[in-house]
Amino acid sequence: MLVALPAGQGRLPLLYAALGLTLCLMLLGSLLLGYRIYSPAELWDALAGTGGEAGTVIREYRLPRAVVAPLVGAALGVSGVLVQTLSRNRIASPDTLGLNAGASLAVVAASAGLGISSLAGLSLAAAVGAFLTSVLVFAVAATAGGLSPLRIVLVGVTFAGLMNALVEVVLTVNEAELQQLLFWLAGAFVDRPLNLVARSLPLLAIGGVLAAMLARPLDALQTDDTTAQSLGAPIRLVRIASFIAVSLLTGASVAMAGPVGFVGLVVPHAARVLSGSRHSRQILVAALIGAIYATGADILARFVIFPTEAPVGAITAVVGAALLLVLLRRRAA
Amino acid sequence: MDKRVASESGVSVETLSVSYGARTAVDAVSLAIPKGKITVLAGPNGCGKSTLLRAIRRLHPAKSGRVLLDGLETGRLREKEIAREIGLLGQSPSAPEDMRVEELVRLGRFPHQAMMQPWSAEDATAIEDAMFGTGIGHLRDRRLGSLSGGQLQRVWIAMVLAQETDVICLDEPVNHLDMAHQIDCLDLVSRLNRERGRTVVLVLHDLNLAARYADLLVFMKEGRIVEAGLPRDLMREDLIASVFGIQCRVIEDPVHERPLCIPMRNSSPRFRPVE
Repeated sequence: MLVALPAGQGRLPLLYAALGLTLCLMLLGSLLLGYRIYSPAELWDALAGTGGEAGTVIREYRLPRAVVAPLVGAALGVSGVLVQTLSRNRIASPDTLGLNAGASLAVVAASAGLGISSLAGLSLAAAVGAFLTSVLVFAVAATAGGLSPLRIVLVGVTFAGLMNALVEVVLTVNEAELQQLLFWLAGAFVDRPLNLVARSLPLLAIGGVLAAMLARPLDALQTDDTTAQSLGAPIRLVRIASFIAVSLLTGASVAMAGPVGFVGLVVPHAARVLSGSRHSRQILVAALIGAIYATGADILARFVIFPTEAPVGAITAVVGAALLLVLLRRRAA
Repeated sequence: MDKRVASESGVSVETLSVSYGARTAVDAVSLAIPKGKITVLAGPNGCGKSTLLRAIRRLHPAKSGRVLLDGLETGRLREKEIAREIGLLGQSPSAPEDMRVEELVRLGRFPHQAMMQPWSAEDATAIEDAMFGTGIGHLRDRRLGSLSGGQLQRVWIAMVLAQETDVICLDEPVNHLDMAHQIDCLDLVSRLNRERGRTVVLVLHDLNLAARYADLLVFMKEGRIVEAGLPRDLMREDLIASVFGIQCRVIEDPVHERPLCIPMRNSSPRFRPVE
């Protein structure tokens, strides 16, 4: 999948086509593979609304996953690109800004404190938690001296650590619903009804459009502040807008699937290798790779501890770590 | 290339003050920067020369006074407008190591592009022209991390050049370079100035390089301009002693026929050895 194409003009359509095709294959796999393996004919029947038991499984269980996984992957991939450019730090990710930790804390608090157990309720709590955390991180970073990239990361990491610790505390004190919460906290695409997706879709759309609009200023922001400013980039405005895009994209994805780790960290690296440093390309490629990656991980999650389902967050982390090591070795060589 | 009607005014600074909190870094400075010439700001550390340079590009807000560009007050220009008029390269610019040379030079076109506007033929010409002018065409696909210091500095200058501004400000452009690359870089700047008529403002630490390349030399101390004029008129032993705190002998550089300062000992009482 990761062939090192030079990012020349001519190869670009080829790259998009290859990624698009891979994504289609992954989606097909996501619909056909699992506890039961179906044939394309059964899939056809299922999509036509017939097909008996196979039809029900595909429509009710597989289809939502095949929608949620690529959306979450794409959102996290794009938001990873934004965070890494925003913080000028290649090991930053939405996790670095504390967004996933904030979402987790909100979910655990809602479950333990307010007794919320419905999926819709928890998902709302997650989105709210991610938003509040982004506002908090942003406000502290901004007031403590001017939104420097380093400060954003430091504040984010601090809050992430604090909130993760609080999650542990709540979980330890409140063991009753531990099993369900632990599964949620690892991130999963299982049993996410499509209306949950419909609610997150506007957030994803706004975040995606915002990211696309920011592509060019973000190119300039890869340089130091003096250079970016001399080029005429309104750096403060770009940082604020990027922050909003990141929190929309991450908030929506965390609401759909919980904190799926490592996607936002690994995908931007792969996107850069394939598409170069221009954000207009990088963002699109990151969305495609993120979608492929999350869908692939979701398929894998059905088989690693067959017949039980593994949390997809664990898969993305293990695969992601391996992939990152390969990419880093390539860079060093 | 220059689409504007020529005017004599260039950049002029009028009683400009800039401060960092309570500290005044530039104190009521007035200076006319001649169009199409090289102006060099020189002075001891902390004299405000870099701050003045950055204030000319409006990277620091003026506390009072103003900067005029061909008679137009720069404070009224929008971000991208001023970026199309004045380019500035800071002391230690940075970009990701895996970025390619051409990608960095392309950034110079940022102020010329609207948000979603596609890449134009004009943009392409400008970056080719900038890479050709700085002699880095053969490096276009190299990653920045693989370049030498001298090559990298040329790439940065190409980026500023691609910005196609009439005025180019360079803050200590030869700071990290060895002697050969210092001369190489300043020769490049001086050639761009002569051949393309760009107005250049430099901050230079090395007084002899300043005297060699400046059309107008400006000595600064404690946020003020002590004197501005031709290198020949400014490179006086007494003036250098009072501005830089060093006793020296000034002779004529037999090659370039410019004044050359030979530093002897620190004349500032702070640094006098105890006898």
